[in-house]
Amino acid sequence: MKNKGLARQIKKEDKRDRRAAIIMLSPVVILLLICSIYPFLWMFRYVCYDYNGFNATFTGTRNFTRMLSDTTFWTSVGHTFEYALYKLVFIIPLALVCAVLLNQKIRGTSVFRAVYFMPTVISSSISGMIFTFIFATQNGILNGMLMGMGFIDAPIQWLTSTEHVMSAVTILAVWGGFGNYMLYFITGMNVISEDVYEAAKIDGANGIQTFFKITLPMLSPILKVVLMLAITGAFKDYEAIMVLTQGGPGNRSMVMFLYIYNLIFGSGLTNMTQPQIGYGALLSVVAAIIVGAVTIAYQRIARKLDEVM
Amino acid sequence: MRNTVKTILIAGLILVLSLGTVFAGGSGEKESTDGKIVIEAWTEDRHDMEYVEQKVAEYNATNTDNIQINLSIISDNYRNMLQMAYSGGTAPDVAGINSIPINMIADTGIAMPLNDFIAASEEYQKVNDPYNQIYEGTNSKNGNIYWIPTGMRSGVRVIYNKDLLAQCGYTEIPSKLEDYIDMAKDITAQGQSRFYGIGFTNASPFERLLEMSAEMSGIYYYDYVNGRFDFSGYKPILEQGRRFFTENIAYPDQQGVDNMRALFSVGMFALWSNASQEAAVFTEQIPVQGFEWGVAEVPTLTGEVVGALETTPSKGWGIISSTKHPEEAWKVIEFFQSEDFLKGYLEAGYCLPSTDYMASVIDSSKTGRLADFALKPYETVYPKPPAVNLSGDDYRTVFWNAVMGYVDIDTAIEDLNTRYNEALDADVAAGSATRLVIKDYDPLHPDQGTPEYLTE
Repeated sequence: MKNKGLARQIKKEDKRDRRAAIIMLSPVVILLLICSIYPFLWMFRYVCYDYNGFNATFTGTRNFTRMLSDTTFWTSVGHTFEYALYKLVFIIPLALVCAVLLNQKIRGTSVFRAVYFMPTVISSSISGMIFTFIFATQNGILNGMLMGMGFIDAPIQWLTSTEHVMSAVTILAVWGGFGNYMLYFITGMNVISEDVYEAAKIDGANGIQTFFKITLPMLSPILKVVLMLAITGAFKDYEAIMVLTQGGPGNRSMVMFLYIYNLIFGSGLTNMTQPQIGYGALLSVVAAIIVGAVTIAYQRIARKLDEVM
Repeated sequence: MRNTVKTILIAGLILVLSLGTVFAGGSGEKESTDGKIVIEAWTEDRHDMEYVEQKVAEYNATNTDNIQINLSIISDNYRNMLQMAYSGGTAPDVAGINSIPINMIADTGIAMPLNDFIAASEEYQKVNDPYNQIYEGTNSKNGNIYWIPTGMRSGVRVIYNKDLLAQCGYTEIPSKLEDYIDMAKDITAQGQSRFYGIGFTNASPFERLLEMSAEMSGIYYYDYVNGRFDFSGYKPILEQGRRFFTENIAYPDQQGVDNMRALFSVGMFALWSNASQEAAVFTEQIPVQGFEWGVAEVPTLTGEVVGALETTPSKGWGIISSTKHPEEAWKVIEFFQSEDFLKGYLEAGYCLPSTDYMASVIDSSKTGRLADFALKPYETVYPKPPAVNLSGDDYRTVFWNAVMGYVDIDTAIEDLNTRYNEALDADVAAGSATRLVIKDYDPLHPDQGTPEYLTE
C-alpha cells in the first residue's frame, strides 16, 4: 500500500517534470523552427527554380545538371579544402604553443593573451582591409620587412600572383583565429591538476616530456572540440577573403562560400547576369553536405584514435 | 502547484520576449502627426545625401499638397531590401529604381508604369524630355515607361597626369590603343619603379578601359541581329591588353578603386580610366596633389570611333505598385524631377544633365571638372541584352583573367560563347528570359533600332 502510494507520487512528479521541461523548452524549439528550420526549408524549395529575388521559374533538374558541370564551383571546393588544410596545419600548433607559453607563471602573460586575442574581436572586413596594405607589392609593410631583413631581393606579389595568394589568405586566417583557439587551450590547461605536474617533476620529467606525456593527453577532450570548430570554421570562411582578394587572382582564392555568396547576393553582377538564389541554394545544400561529411569523418577518426590510445 | 504556475509564467515570458524579437518591426500605412500624407521614398544614393535631404526638408515645410516625404537611404543590398519589403508589404511608395534590371521591376509588377502620369504633366515633359529618354530594356519595356533618368554618368574617359606625361615627352593621349600602350610602357620605363605608366583596380578592371575601347571599336558581347551572345570580337583587344602584364607596364598591384585613386592622386602612375564620378573624386574626395590632370577619350583599335560608348542613365524615380497614394507619389516624383531640384543637383556636379533643357538652364561654370566629362556624340545607352542565369564567372572576370594570362584568350572566348548561349537558350526555353533581336541594329546608334523579344 505504501509502495503503491510512493509509485503514484513518483509518477505524478515525473509528469509534472515532463510538463515543466516541455514548457521550458518550447521557446527554444519555436525559435529553432522559425529561425533555422523554416529558413532552411524556404531555401530548399528553391533548388529546382531560377529565382532572382523577384521571379521564380521552375526548371526541374537543371540546377543539378548545371552544378555537375560548374567547374568554377568544383574548383572552389578544391580551394576550400586546400585553404582549410593550410589553416589547420598552422593555426592549431601555433595556438597550442602560445597557450603553453602563456600559461606559465610569468609576469606579463595576460598582456600577451589580450594582444593575441585582439584579432578575434576585429571584424574580418576591417582586417581584410588592413592586410591589403600589409600585403601590397609596392610599399607594402611585409615586403618592406622581408627585403629589409634580406630574405627577398624583389617584392612578392602577395595578392596579385596565383602562386602566393593562398599564403596571404592563410596568414590572415591564422592571424585572425589563433588567439581564440589559444584561449580554449589555456582554459583546458587550467583544468589539469597541479598535482600531476608536481608528480612529473618529482619523477624527473623535463618540459618537453611533461608537454607530450601530461599536457597533450589531458588536453585531448578540448583539443577534439577545438579541432572540430577549426575544421567547420575553415570550411565556412569567406568574409576576409572577399575583402582581401575577392576570390582572385584568376579565382585562385575562390572558396565555395564566396562563390555561393556571389551567386545569391549578386556581388560583381554585370548587366546581364542576375542573382541566382535557386542555384545558390542548391550549392549551399551541397556545401553543407560537404562540411557535414568532413565533420563526421573527423569525428570517426577521433573516436578511432581514442580507442587506439 | 505554485511551482507549476511559476514555471508557466516564466516560460510564457521567455516565449513572448523571444517571439517579440522575431516579429519585431513591420509597418502599415502611415500618416504624419499633423495629418499629412506620408510618402515613403527610398534611394540607394549616399553621395548626394546632403543636397537631397536639404531639398526634401524644404519641400516638407512648404508644399501645399499636404505631403510629407520620408526619405530613406539604403546603400547596401538595395535590390534585396526592396524585394523583401515588397513581399512583406512594407515597400516604399516611391523608389530610385534606375539600378534595378527591368525584368525585376516590370515583369513582376513591382513598379507601376508612369505613361499616364507623364502624358498629363507638361512641366515634367518640358524638364525631363521623357519621350527622348526611353531606353528599351533599361527604363521601358513593351511600351511601358517605369522611370526617366534625371542625369547621366558619362562613359569611361582616360584621366591622366599632365605633368608626368610632359616629363616623359608626351602632350596628348593617343587615339589608337596600341600607341596608348606603347606610351604607358615608355612612361613605366622612364619611371624606373618611381612611377608607372598605368594603373588598374581589382574592381571590375576590364570594364574600366578595355571593354570600353572595344565598344568604341564596334565590338560588343551581344549580337543583336541574331539574338546570341558573341564574344569572338574581343580577341584583338585582349591581345593588346595582355601587353600591360607580359611587358610589365602596369603598376604591380591591383587594389580597391579608392586605393588606386589615391595612388594616382600622388603621381604613382600616369594613366587612369573611369567615368564622370572621377570629377568629384579628384577634386573633393581624394584631391590630386601637386600636378595638373586632364581628361581624354578612350583609345580604340584603329584610332577611329566606329561604335557607341555606353553611358549610364542615373537617378530615376519610380512608383511602387503597392502604394496607397499613387497621385501623391507622382507629385513627389515631379518634385524630385523639377527644374528647381535638378538645377541645384546638376550644378553641384552629382551627374551630367540628360536633357538639352536642363543643360541650357544650369550654370555649367559651377559644375567644376565635371564639364570635362561632357557627353560625346557617340555616347548612348545600349538596349539591355537578356539577363541570364549563368554558371561560373561572368565575361568581365574571364576576360580579365585572360588579360592577366591565367587563361588562354581563345579558350576564354570559346568558354564564354558556350556558357552564355547555353544559359540564354535554357532561360528562354524555361520562360525566365526572352531573346532580344534588333534586325536594324547600328553599332554607332544601338538605341535607335527596333527591338523584338522572341520566346524561342
